[in-house]
Amino acid sequence: MTDALSYFLLSWTDPSLLALTAAGTFAGIYIGAIPGLSVTMAVAILISFTFTWSVNPALALIAGVYTGGVYGGSRSAVLLNIPGAPAAIATALDGYPMAQRGEAGRAIGLATVMSVIGGFIGIAALAIAAPAISDIALAVAPRDYLLLALLGLLLVGSLSGESFAKGLFCGALGVALGLVGLDQMTAEPRFTFGTTALMGGIPYVAAMIGFFGVSEALVQLRRPDLPPIRQQVERIVPPWAAVRRHAPLTLRSSLIGVVVGALPGTGGDIAALLAYDSARRTVKAPTHPFGQGAEEGIVAPESANNAAVGGAYIPMLTLGIPGDAVTAVIIGALFIHGLKPGPMLMVETPHLFWFTVGNLTLANIFLLVFGLSGIRVFAKLAEAPRALLVPLILVLSVVGTFAIQNSATDVLWMLGFGVFGYFLRIYGFEVGPVVLGMILGPLMDASYRRAMISAADDPLEFVMGFGESWISGGLAAFCIAVLAQAGLKALRRKRGRA
Amino acid sequence: MITRRSLGALAALPLLPGAAAAQAFPARELTGIIMWGAGGATDVVARALTPIAERALGQSIVLQNRPGGAGAISVQAVATAAADGHTLLYGAENPQLHKVLGLGQRDYADFFPVNLTARGVAVVVANKDKPWASMKDVVAEAQRNPGRLRMGATGPGGLPHVVGAMINTVTQMRVIAVPFDGEGPGLTALQGGHVDFMPVGLGAAAEHIRAGRVKPLAVVNTEAVPTLPDVPPITADLPGMARLLPWGPFYGVWVRREVPEAARTRLVAAFREAASSEAFTTLMRNAGNIMMNISGEEADAFLRRWQSVTAWTLQEAGAARRSPEEFGIPRP
Repeated sequence: MTDALSYFLLSWTDPSLLALTAAGTFAGIYIGAIPGLSVTMAVAILISFTFTWSVNPALALIAGVYTGGVYGGSRSAVLLNIPGAPAAIATALDGYPMAQRGEAGRAIGLATVMSVIGGFIGIAALAIAAPAISDIALAVAPRDYLLLALLGLLLVGSLSGESFAKGLFCGALGVALGLVGLDQMTAEPRFTFGTTALMGGIPYVAAMIGFFGVSEALVQLRRPDLPPIRQQVERIVPPWAAVRRHAPLTLRSSLIGVVVGALPGTGGDIAALLAYDSARRTVKAPTHPFGQGAEEGIVAPESANNAAVGGAYIPMLTLGIPGDAVTAVIIGALFIHGLKPGPMLMVETPHLFWFTVGNLTLANIFLLVFGLSGIRVFAKLAEAPRALLVPLILVLSVVGTFAIQNSATDVLWMLGFGVFGYFLRIYGFEVGPVVLGMILGPLMDASYRRAMISAADDPLEFVMGFGESWISGGLAAFCIAVLAQAGLKALRRKRGRA
Repeated sequence: MITRRSLGALAALPLLPGAAAAQAFPARELTGIIMWGAGGATDVVARALTPIAERALGQSIVLQNRPGGAGAISVQAVATAAADGHTLLYGAENPQLHKVLGLGQRDYADFFPVNLTARGVAVVVANKDKPWASMKDVVAEAQRNPGRLRMGATGPGGLPHVVGAMINTVTQMRVIAVPFDGEGPGLTALQGGHVDFMPVGLGAAAEHIRAGRVKPLAVVNTEAVPTLPDVPPITADLPGMARLLPWGPFYGVWVRREVPEAARTRLVAAFREAASSEAFTTLMRNAGNIMMNISGEEADAFLRRWQSVTAWTLQEAGAARRSPEEFGIPRP
């Protein structure tokens, strides 16, 4: 136990490790905030960079970048309506309306505090329940991923804005866009029209930047004369009472984050979307209606996506199986540093586990400090006149998109989706469901076919499969309950109107 | 012309000593395009090799992952970049099958092998709760219940697909191949009991085998390998496989064929040095890979033989979309 504690505190007491964790967290926040620069990419670059270092400083730096980066995406989501990463899409839905109300500072403050609380819950789960959670992660079958994707897609219902039919159209469009490219199972080209450029599919991060960022800039251009919104920057740190009031939601969202983060097929983006969806369904009296700047709409995704960090480390450290794209890269880093990431890692190098737990804890403390400082300056960004803000959004969108994979084609995609998104929006179609469909469509497609192939293409055996494990059964029952509830609600509304 | 060339030499003078500096390679930083995603086997090889090669070249190599189309996207990107040696392709075996699988019109015949770095060995692993003790038991059960056993796979042209096809050329075995996004996700499903067995690269499975979380049945080789001395070679149960072996995935660095001789020589030397380094060879050994570190004609010969064996195996198993004959790929 004292051994564990000394490894836990290693990066707290060693000045160079302390400095590296701080630097990593700080850099991570800004890498995460720039759309297109992803944590996965940053960590991959760090691996070459830290190749000649010993393993501890490399891991300290990576833990910082990871923690900071997952949080950073919320900044640009709140201030500019461009999610810095797919995990911050849900944050934009209520964060940006808050900024439009002059509460950008409060929104960022809330996102910071909730990210840190979520982060701590994720770390606690990693430290206490890692073996149990990794057993659950292994038991999740392809058919269960199908249900998770389906649950995520149900969010389309609440993102549709004025018309459910229009929302459904956008969601379906997103799913269809997500199908473009070489099919991941048969390598059959789908909707590629014989071009190599389309073989890799339509980059969904580029689409996300176009749909959210560029279309927002274009919408703002319609009224260039509107005065900028005055931002209140007095009360940035959420009061204790608010934190306490949101506590049940924070806990619930964080647990969703931990489990979804630990699942090898899903990461922080889907965790945040599922948490947001569950908040919409369970919170009866949000501070404002959802989608119009509800605090709960920030609490849920932000606590979930940072809790997913601890979650993603769980199967990585206990089994050598990555919980998401970033931990997959970290496994590569451990290999390069001569360690053997796998189920024996915890047995042969137990210090690595507690060192990581200590690092992540430290990174979350730095996150609180760096996250809360500088908000005043950032909130002022939302006060900038449109003549400045619109070009800024456009430049950031182009640079960020190019940075994904140095591809000029991606920039064209992004601009195209921006213009398309603009027309969707002025005709009352929401762009959220399109991006949602692009993210969840491929997961649903692959999981469905994997489950069906596993059942020897026999529909009866496929359905019976849901009775085979408590996870499948429970998830299926939950899906049915949610659908039934939505159906009943719609029915009641219809009767009320009649 | 003369003026421009002397101007170039003048401009280069302060940076590089020597009058011939104007023609020196590399003239600027290089770009390395990795055909698979971050964290995969190809990515790990690329990122471990590059820092050492950078030192030998005296220039940095900016790495980018351009996955998609089983490597076709990256192959296309490098093939259309300038043939000056500043764009490197970090790849695996996949392009050698693109033609017969209908994924693309290019293979490594269009590229010069700067370094064929290492090759891997495959191993057939099973869920640890299965009663099987050898490959023979799997084949027997598959024949008793045709079309019921689930084999983890990674899509057409992937290692499980090819090994499965090889087994099928020597014995009849009908199984359900469930495709996953890679060897890692497939191994995860294997441990969760969602598939029954899976042929995978030894590097991906080694640690899971050592921990006893998956059961090794056979190494796809004609003799046992040092990392797994107690696991029998697949030829012990299926002697007919011998004519197709050795076979396995491989990793390396390529440039366009048209790259000038001087640049090629410089790159070959730099990457040979990188691949001989202690740190790198240890990494490869730990991953269960066999070092190759060959280039030029020697590497080309290996690549041609690999393509001929694999393409015709797929053709015999009915897994090729287009016959190797169409592309003039000779029978092994």
